[in-house]
Amino acid sequence: MSRDLHTWHCCRSPWESGTAGLWPQQVVTSCQEKIQHWKKVESDYDALQERLRTLPDKLSYDIMVPFGPLAFMPGKLVHTNEVTVLLGDNWFSKCSAKQAVELVEHRKKHVRKALDDLQKVMKNFESRAEFTEDLQKMSDAAGEFVDIREEIEDDSIETKGKYRTAHKPHSKPKVSNFFEVDFAANGSDTKSTGRFQSEEELWARLEELERQEELLGELDRMPDTAETTGEDTTSSEEEKEDKRRDLNGTYTAEDCITQGNFHKEVTNSDLFGGQVNGSTYYHSDDEDDVDVGDNSVPTIFFSHTVEPKRVRINTGKNTTLKFSEKKEEAKRKRKNSNGNGHATPELPNIKTPADIYRVFVDVVNGEYVPRKSILKSRSRENSVCSDTSENSAAEFDDRRGVQRSISCDEATQSDNSEGLLEEEEEEEEGRQQLPKKLPPSSGTTEAFSGTVVEKEPLSPSFTPHPVMAHPVLPTILERKSEEVLSEAPEEPTKRISKFKAARMQQTT
Amino acid sequence: MAAARREELSRRIKEQKVVVDELSNLKKNRKVYRQQPNSNIFFLADRTETLSQCKNTLDELKKAYQDMENSQKTEIKK
Repeated sequence: MSRDLHTWHCCRSPWESGTAGLWPQQVVTSCQEKIQHWKKVESDYDALQERLRTLPDKLSYDIMVPFGPLAFMPGKLVHTNEVTVLLGDNWFSKCSAKQAVELVEHRKKHVRKALDDLQKVMKNFESRAEFTEDLQKMSDAAGEFVDIREEIEDDSIETKGKYRTAHKPHSKPKVSNFFEVDFAANGSDTKSTGRFQSEEELWARLEELERQEELLGELDRMPDTAETTGEDTTSSEEEKEDKRRDLNGTYTAEDCITQGNFHKEVTNSDLFGGQVNGSTYYHSDDEDDVDVGDNSVPTIFFSHTVEPKRVRINTGKNTTLKFSEKKEEAKRKRKNSNGNGHATPELPNIKTPADIYRVFVDVVNGEYVPRKSILKSRSRENSVCSDTSENSAAEFDDRRGVQRSISCDEATQSDNSEGLLEEEEEEEEGRQQLPKKLPPSSGTTEAFSGTVVEKEPLSPSFTPHPVMAHPVLPTILERKSEEVLSEAPEEPTKRISKFKAARMQQTT
Repeated sequence: MAAARREELSRRIKEQKVVVDELSNLKKNRKVYRQQPNSNIFFLADRTETLSQCKNTLDELKKAYQDMENSQKTEIKK
């Protein structure tokens, strides 16, 4: 692209003049167009004025009334002296014909003023346009004057203002253009080009690392969120949470950084791993004091191995599980007697539903009382409404002792039966009114022996029957064994409520 | 620029000729309406008067055209 430098001299740049950045010739032509437009407007106003002056001469005129852009109707124009004039912005004024004439005159004045201004501008630029034309003619004609022209070969600079596209978020910064220009100007500079390529390689490598870091960051965030939800359920300590929050903050901050450090990322993952262990450590610690360094979650298994005795001690609403030494001794004793394999003493190895009830045992007066319900807290049991009083508890203790003796006498005593015993004691508290006729389950029977035996309600109830899977029934049976023994002559065949039996006794 | 003006004039002259011919070919009972400039309203006009007016404008245009041609010719001669 070449520029005529001589034109710079003769006329100012289009940006200096007030005519919207146009060369003089263009200015002249635009002025002429405007002038023509205004002249037409003026002529229209003149015609209107003439019409308005003659309008009141007649009462009505025969006209073709337009309706729509293309259709007309013959009609009359009435009220010839009333004219509604548009003042602008949809405002109208109603006036007489003469007043309208004056308004039109006022507008014509403005039009004339605009015309005059345009004429002046045109005159000013006409001279310049003439001058440039003359110069061009002279340059073409004569050979003395030569245009100084500079040819620019490279078009890169011209494309600065072209359409721009946004950079990608983690892209490298743009290498400036003048790098290449220098190469072109200085010739081939191999050294600098070599450096340039190595830099490109470095940038590519950095991009790859960033991508990897992002992927790892997403992966790390997944277990982290799962961990946080799990922790909310358990009673987590504040320190632990704060620690986690801090780590999260640092991790997110790292994500924001475009060029992440690989080493930092690795250390963060290690911290997270450690925290996972620590959280589980805390989690298990809440449940079991003895469970030190064990990362497993307590689960329910169903098998027939010896499991530890666990006692749950109520402390009002908040219940904590603590290991009972007594139970541990009993377990050890049983283990030695049975010679079974060692079960994991730390966990509450719940393998049967009976184990659940064994686990939930209260301490009353130093003795272990089976709980009425695993869902209820201890305070409820001591309330007036329930039937659990210390006196009755003492009675139950005696019975329990008897039953224990019975159970322990049996050689093939298993833990399950003792658990059943404990369950019965628990259940008897709530079920005094329902003496059932089920035969007692002595220590010989095991829960989940694998066989299901039909109950015989009328059989002499003292023969040991294998108990059904339902833990409730056998407990009451076993508990009531003594009572049933005593009451056997009274209720040989059918069930009678206690009150009815009492009434019968009274009547008889 | 002069050529543009000349063409403009010639176009106008043609239009006026058509108008004059049309008006002269009208029947006696026909009504002639004149349009108000820059609007869509037509006022009733007298046929004979409008005919005469149109003829006058045509003559004027022709005259102007002639003058322009004469001036150009004189310029070329110079």
